[in-house]
Amino acid sequence: MIELLALPFLACLVLTLMHVHLGLHVLARGVIFVDLALAQVAALGLTVALLAGHSLQGEGAYGYALAFAVGGAVLFALTRTRGGAVPQEAVIGIVYAVSAALAVIVLDRAPQGGEHIKQLLVGSILTVSAGDVAALAGLYAAIGVAHWALRRPLAEVSLDPEGAVRSGRALVFWDIFFYASFALVVTSSVRVAGVLLVFAYLVVPAAIASLFVRSVRARLALGWALGAAVSAAGLWASWAWDFPTGATLVSAFGAAIALAAAGIGTVRAANAIRAGGLAALRPAAATLGGLLALAGALLLALPGMDHPWLDAVESAVPQVRQAFLDDDEIEMLRDTEDSLARGQADLDRLRRMEQDVRWGTLAMDPEREERLRQFIAGRAEIVAGDQLVLRTLRATARERQRFPLGLLLAIGGGALAFFFGRRRRPAGAGLA
Amino acid sequence: MRRFLAPLALSAALAGPAWGAPAALQVAATTTDLKALVEEVGGERVKVESLAGATHDPHAIEIKPSQIARLKRSALLVRIGLDHEPWLARVVVTAGNPRLAPGGEGDLDASKGIALLQSETPRLRADRRAHVHAFGNPHYWLDPENARAMTAAILERLARLRPEERAVFAANRGRFLARLDAGLVRWRRALAPYRGARAVVVHESWPYFSERFGLAIVAAIEPTPGVPPTPATLAELAQRMKASGVRLIIAEPYSDASLVRQVAERTGARVAVLIPSVGADPAAGDYLALFDLNVKRLTAALAAQ
Repeated sequence: MIELLALPFLACLVLTLMHVHLGLHVLARGVIFVDLALAQVAALGLTVALLAGHSLQGEGAYGYALAFAVGGAVLFALTRTRGGAVPQEAVIGIVYAVSAALAVIVLDRAPQGGEHIKQLLVGSILTVSAGDVAALAGLYAAIGVAHWALRRPLAEVSLDPEGAVRSGRALVFWDIFFYASFALVVTSSVRVAGVLLVFAYLVVPAAIASLFVRSVRARLALGWALGAAVSAAGLWASWAWDFPTGATLVSAFGAAIALAAAGIGTVRAANAIRAGGLAALRPAAATLGGLLALAGALLLALPGMDHPWLDAVESAVPQVRQAFLDDDEIEMLRDTEDSLARGQADLDRLRRMEQDVRWGTLAMDPEREERLRQFIAGRAEIVAGDQLVLRTLRATARERQRFPLGLLLAIGGGALAFFFGRRRRPAGAGLA
Repeated sequence: MRRFLAPLALSAALAGPAWGAPAALQVAATTTDLKALVEEVGGERVKVESLAGATHDPHAIEIKPSQIARLKRSALLVRIGLDHEPWLARVVVTAGNPRLAPGGEGDLDASKGIALLQSETPRLRADRRAHVHAFGNPHYWLDPENARAMTAAILERLARLRPEERAVFAANRGRFLARLDAGLVRWRRALAPYRGARAVVVHESWPYFSERFGLAIVAAIEPTPGVPPTPATLAELAQRMKASGVRLIIAEPYSDASLVRQVAERTGARVAVLIPSVGADPAAGDYLALFDLNVKRLTAALAAQ
């Protein structure tokens, strides 16, 4: 595991160092999607490079991507509006959509298909090479030094443009410098990590850090620590739970910010209870009641649809289903569950054996090999049959749960929502 | 007029340029491979257009207005069938050409009459891992023997649409099959020393090819196209490749280069980039050239071991 994930982790650290810094600027400027737009402009540059006959892996294609991205950066610098009728997010969105559309048109004429460009946008952090990481680290060190040397004007232009103009700074010049180095970073990072992951590194650690601390220095430090920790957790999860690496890392960043938000919410709730007693929980109770009533109403109206919450309750507390089945049916349920577990284990074992035969680690004559295949097919049919029986039993139970459980939930939940939602907001009594 | 010109057309078709003959039959094919086969049978007497380019993913293409216009005029639509062209049904409806509707006189599903591989029953499929090909693997044109059945179906259909030119089409197909037989001898001989060689593919595009030429495909690096493999899958794959001495990776031109490179570096395996469609490489200009090129690349990779 270490051998396979060491390089990706190193790449993640390099990304964290650069992107948290840029992310703080991006958050301050309120141009969250500038990264996606520049990545798409760079991808358009790559398609044009294809049309011009370059190979996608070559330096020529990188040059095209960079030139396009810097062009986009200059456009963003020039369209930075202050209090105008069209917010800059609109320009960013337009650039994103139009460059994506232009890429489709160019690809239609390009001699190569778009598979490689799609792969570039998805990224391949798992298969990053040592050379990639070294090049990225060198480039980002140079950009980092330049940004550190110019940190004062850069911070001023991002955080307080009015003040910067008053103190005589050429806003457009500094904006071009910022967006151009940003374009360079995005073009280089996307080649390694893909669009989604680059976006996550840019925005999530900086956003979480901004929730907890105020000074730029503290935000940077916390963002770096978070980025490194979430990278490690995401890579571990990708290994342990067998998920594609890039997508798992992005999801890990999502989980991190959800956790942070839940933590803040819990603290706020605790404070509110301390201040105002349990009455502070009234809105939450009313919402819960409303959701229960909705679940009950859906069970009443459409017992045949998927009720994942009820499935979860039944797998945690089997009695919820068994109470609605007679003794014969419960016995059938148990038998089928046993047989299913056995069949699945058998099937896993046989499939492993088939794999071994295919790889040549287990010798088997062709006739036995064919018998093995037939046997697997037969076993799979039995397992599928067992699953069908389980589904049928569940549907039977669901049909009987419909009125008692559905009515109970609908009326109980409705009452809860009405009782707790009533007094605070008399006009909002329609919550249920 | 047309009856009068028919014998002339026949001689013109045999002689070469078809000046003065009735207009060539307009045919649409979904892929360049089908286009190549229709051209082998139809010769000068058909004008074939492929809806998907050689390097485009035929699962996801965006049709253009000019192609709808062409479909309106087409007398015949040749398709791979199975679930290879999910976009096609809507396009045919939009083109408003009832002859091309499924089951119509101008609709030819080339998969009919092919012995399909990897076609499990739907219930068995449900608990296997994600599998894009629900009705059997659609890359059947990569077994050259299947070209017999495919060109036979094309011949029947062309002859039904242009009965007066059946002899021309049959003669074209005969010449094609003679060249195909010579090719099969050539390809078999080139690959005979490597019979039973085991290989790992990037995508499941090569079961027909490997079945024909005696390769054993043991695993796919990216079983679900577009979803990168997980670290555990990759580690297990590399470990098994090393343990059992599998030294060949079959990739396509559009495979993820960094992924293929990494598996190759970890295992010391050679990579053969095979071309899945006519026209996807300049050297694979027609159906037979496609196999000449692929066999050449494969033997080069196998001989280097």
